Order: sequence, then structure tokens, then C-alpha cells
Amino acid sequence: MTEKALRNPTSPGFQAPKSAWSGRLALLAGQIGLLAAIMGIWEWAAVAEIVPRAFIGQPSVFIPAFFSGLLNGTYFSATLITMQAVLTAFCIGSFLALFTALVMTAAPPVERLLSPFIDALNALPRVALIPLFIIWFGLGITQKVVSGVSIMYFVLLSATLAGAKSVDPDHLLLARSLGIPRWQVFLQIVVPSAIPSIFAGMKLGMIYTVLGVITAELIAGGRGLGTLVSYYSNTFDTNGVFAVLILLIILTSCLAGLMNAVEKRIGRWRLA
Amino acid sequence: MHDRVSVDVEPHPADAKSSQAGSAEAGIRIAGLSHNYWQQGKPILAVKDIDLDIPAHTFVSIVGASGCGKTTLLDILSGLVTPQSGLVTVGGESPQAGRKDCARMFARDALLPWRTAAKNIDFALATRLADRAQRAERIGELLKAVGLDGFQNAYPRQLSQGMRQRVALARSFALRSEFVFLDEPFGALDALTKVALQDLLLKLWEEIRSTVVLVTHDLAEAVALSDRVIVMSSRPGTIVADIDIDLRRPRDVKALQSVARFHELVAELWGRL
Ligand SMILES: Nc1ncnc2c1ncn2[C@@H]1O[C@H](COP(=O)(O)OP(=O)(O)O)[C@@H](O)[C@H]1O
Ligand SMILES: [Mg+2]
Repeated sequence: MTEKALRNPTSPGFQAPKSAWSGRLALLAGQIGLLAAIMGIWEWAAVAEIVPRAFIGQPSVFIPAFFSGLLNGTYFSATLITMQAVLTAFCIGSFLALFTALVMTAAPPVERLLSPFIDALNALPRVALIPLFIIWFGLGITQKVVSGVSIMYFVLLSATLAGAKSVDPDHLLLARSLGIPRWQVFLQIVVPSAIPSIFAGMKLGMIYTVLGVITAELIAGGRGLGTLVSYYSNTFDTNGVFAVLILLIILTSCLAGLMNAVEKRIGRWRLA
Repeated sequence: MHDRVSVDVEPHPADAKSSQAGSAEAGIRIAGLSHNYWQQGKPILAVKDIDLDIPAHTFVSIVGASGCGKTTLLDILSGLVTPQSGLVTVGGESPQAGRKDCARMFARDALLPWRTAAKNIDFALATRLADRAQRAERIGELLKAVGLDGFQNAYPRQLSQGMRQRVALARSFALRSEFVFLDEPFGALDALTKVALQDLLLKLWEEIRSTVVLVTHDLAEAVALSDRVIVMSSRPGTIVADIDIDLRRPRDVKALQSVARFHELVAELWGRL
């Protein structure tokens, strides 16, 4: 059968063409070039005082500052403190969002009951609540976690609900014609259909968790990375601020990369 | 094949609803069936005054233009749609979704993309057969029968449309149901793949001789496969012709192309449309 030979995953014709690698290298080189160009323009603008150096910092100063901060341990404890709040908020937020989505999907009346309230809370700029969280929960980790959860929860909830609605109607008909019970349909059809959206929501949710926690630290102080940012900006150390921002970009990217790896394992069928 | 006894011997009250299975020998009876859908507050008469008796172990095709109510009729037989008027019995019982003696195959393959070919068949088979080892064995046999030996671990994405439809056929016949309802299973395939799959369908059917209702808009397909072809008019769907196909079995779809009687029957069907 010819269709067999063409589609056989183990046949040599199935491998990706060799040029894919060189294409990827070229792309990477282009991206590094773009980054270097931006830094170059930035450096030039700072050195030539097109914009006051105190406002925009200087790459040749903040990049070394980032590495020395990394090596001399300035960032270490702040990173631990921030990440502790981020991971706690992410886990609690994910659990709550997935649980809410589960209840709402399994019981449509609950969804109809709750959805106007969820929309209203979602429309509320929750960053504005952080001062209240500080009054309620003090200056410790609790208010940071609550801030992170309050922002990421809705991101993940709406992504998961949208995913649960993206089920192929043919699959539901198939399950019905086979007499598969409702809870099985949920586990075997609705959940797998929603997985891509859940992961997209979790990746976005992770970024929003960091946003919530850093904002809480900016406002409340303490000893996290957000506090470090506010310390540097209050002392007009623009380069110090940018050095911490580099660290935050790297941390968030690592977490997103971790999630991509998990998704790849679970969603092998999509990449096959 | 199931017989009456095996059904009557186990009147387990808990199972009574889900495994409510009729007697295969009773075949399918449809009397005075009409069904409306509602679209924007207006009734759409999909099928009208259908009377049809299908004896057990018969292969019947229903042909008609698109939108004439063929899918509606199959949905009613499979218990997915409750008709507004008329009497319908499948194996002496009224249709119900999830009946253990009925299998339904959809127009698109409806394979679950996150399951491999073998796991897709297992999805259906697990509802009828608890023993894992027995299921694995039957799935192996079926994949071989549909020409997909060695593809048990392939995901639907990795298969061509023809191969996916083979998996879907295997899934439907894995159940060994007494009643099989097929909705344009080969509608989206090219001519050559279609003939291969029609032969495959005949082969699978010869083994279990279930009562089959196949919906198609391909007249040659209907003649090649069936004992009887029902012609429906366009909406509202009513039966306008009921033709016996007197070609002998077992049939070979490719060989039929050079049989004069086959072409006569196809021509006759065209005349009735
Ligand atoms: N769920 C539905 N709601 C409203 N109208 C429908 C629905 N399903 C089918 N119809 C209408 O009923 C008619 C028959 O449809 P169908 O049974 O799918 O025809 P066929 O399978 O022969 O193409 C069509 O006019 C279609 O628009
Ligand atoms: Mg149809």
C-alpha cells in the first residue's frame, strides 16, 4: 500500500529535511543580531546623551551589574523570597481555577449562575486591590500570594472554560452513541480537548503571577525582587533597575520553558 | 451472534436501562415516522411519513440528495434524536443512545486525536468488553483486517484520511453489534480509496452479518454493497423507491464494475431519483 509507505513514521522519508537546522541557526543569529542592535542603539543614545543617562541607564553598565549581582549574592535571597510567593500563588491559583472550571463545566447551571460575577471581577483592575490586601493580610508573604492568585486565577479560568467549550461535537455524539457516562465523557473527551488551552492559560497565568507578586512587593516592601526594583529606582539607580529586570525576564522565561516541556510530554499527539 | 436466550437470561435490573438490547431477529421497523426541526422559530420538516421494514441481517442503503433527511433518519435509529411522531423499533425495542447492540459510524472519522489508532478502537470496545487482554487481542486482529498492521501506535495526525476511516470502520465493527448505522462513511475519499474501503466494509460485514443501514449519496456504492436500496426524495424526505439488489454475494466491488446487472441497477436508481 503506497499510503502506508508515505505515512510510516519510521520510514526515512518521514524525517525533517536537513535544512531545518541551518534555518533555525539563521533565525537565532538574526534574533541575536536584533538584540545586539537594540543594545547598541540604547548604548549610543545613553553615551551621546540623546536621552539623559540617568533616565534610561546604559547597557554597558547594567549588563555587568546583572552578572555581578548574580555572582556576589545580592539577588540570591531576594529571588528565593519572590519565587516562593510566585510558586505558591501559581499552585493555589491553578488549583482554584481548574477546580472552578471543573465545577462550571460539569454543572452548566453553576456556570450560568457564576459567570456574571466572574466577568465583573475579571473586569476589575485587581492591582488596585493590592493596598487593601496589605491592610487585610499584612506585609508578609500572604498578601503577595493573594495578589498573585487574584490576577492569575481569572486568566487560567477563562482559558480553561474556553478550552472545555472547544470540544468537537462529533466526539460528544460518538460518546453518546456508545453510552459512555457523563463523568467519563468529561475525563476522556472534555479534559483532553481542553489541555492545549489549559497550558496556554497556565503559561500566561505564570507571567501574571509574577506581575501580581512583583507589584505587591513594589508597594509593600519586604525583601523580594520587587523591593529591590523599588529600592534602585528610589535611589535613581536606573542601571540597578534594569539589571533586576533582566533577572526577572530570565526567571519567567525559565518557568515558561518548564511548562513547555511538560506540555510537550503530555501533548505528544499534537506534535506527532 | 446473540440469540434471544442470552438476552433473557440476564435480566439484571441495574443493567436494564443501559444494556437494554432488543432481539436481533426482530430487525428494524419504522411506521408513520415524521420529524420536524426548529430553525428560527419555524418548523423544518426533515422526514415525512416514512414506513420501512428492514429484516435482520440485511444490508440496506438509503440514498438521496443532500439535506433530504438521511442523517436525521440514522440519528433517530441510533436514539440520538427523538422523533416527533411515528413508531420506530430496532430489534423490537425503541431506539436509545448507548444501546449495546447498536453501533454508529459518523460521516467524519470522529477519531480522538490524542489517542493512537489502537486506543481509539479501545475507546469503543471498552464499553462492551471488560477484559483488557481480550480487547487487545481483538484490536490486533481488527487492525490487521483493515490493513493497518503496525500502525497501532500511530496518532490520527500521522494517518491519511483513508487510513483514519479504516480505523473508524474497525472501531464500529469491533463492537460486533447486531445493528450498524453508517452515515456516508466514504463520502470524503477519492475513488480508489473508496473502492478499497467498500470491499473492506463488505468483508467485515460478511463476518458478523449484522443488520446494516448505510446512508450515502453515491448510487454505485449503494448498489455494490446492499441487499436493498431505499431512495428518498428531497425535503421533506419521503421514500420514493425501494429496490432489491439481486447481485450475488460475496461481492467484489472492483469486479462488479464489469458486471452488466450492476450497471443496470445503478441506471435504474438514477431513473428513480
Ligand atoms: N439539528 C438540526 N436543527 C435544525 N435543522 C436541522 C438539524 N439537523 C438537520 N436539520 C435540517 O434537516 C434537514 C435534513 O438534514 P439531514 O438529516 O442532515 O440531511 P442529509 O443527511 O440527508 O443531508 C436539512 O434541511 C437540515 O437543514
Ligand atoms: Mg447527512
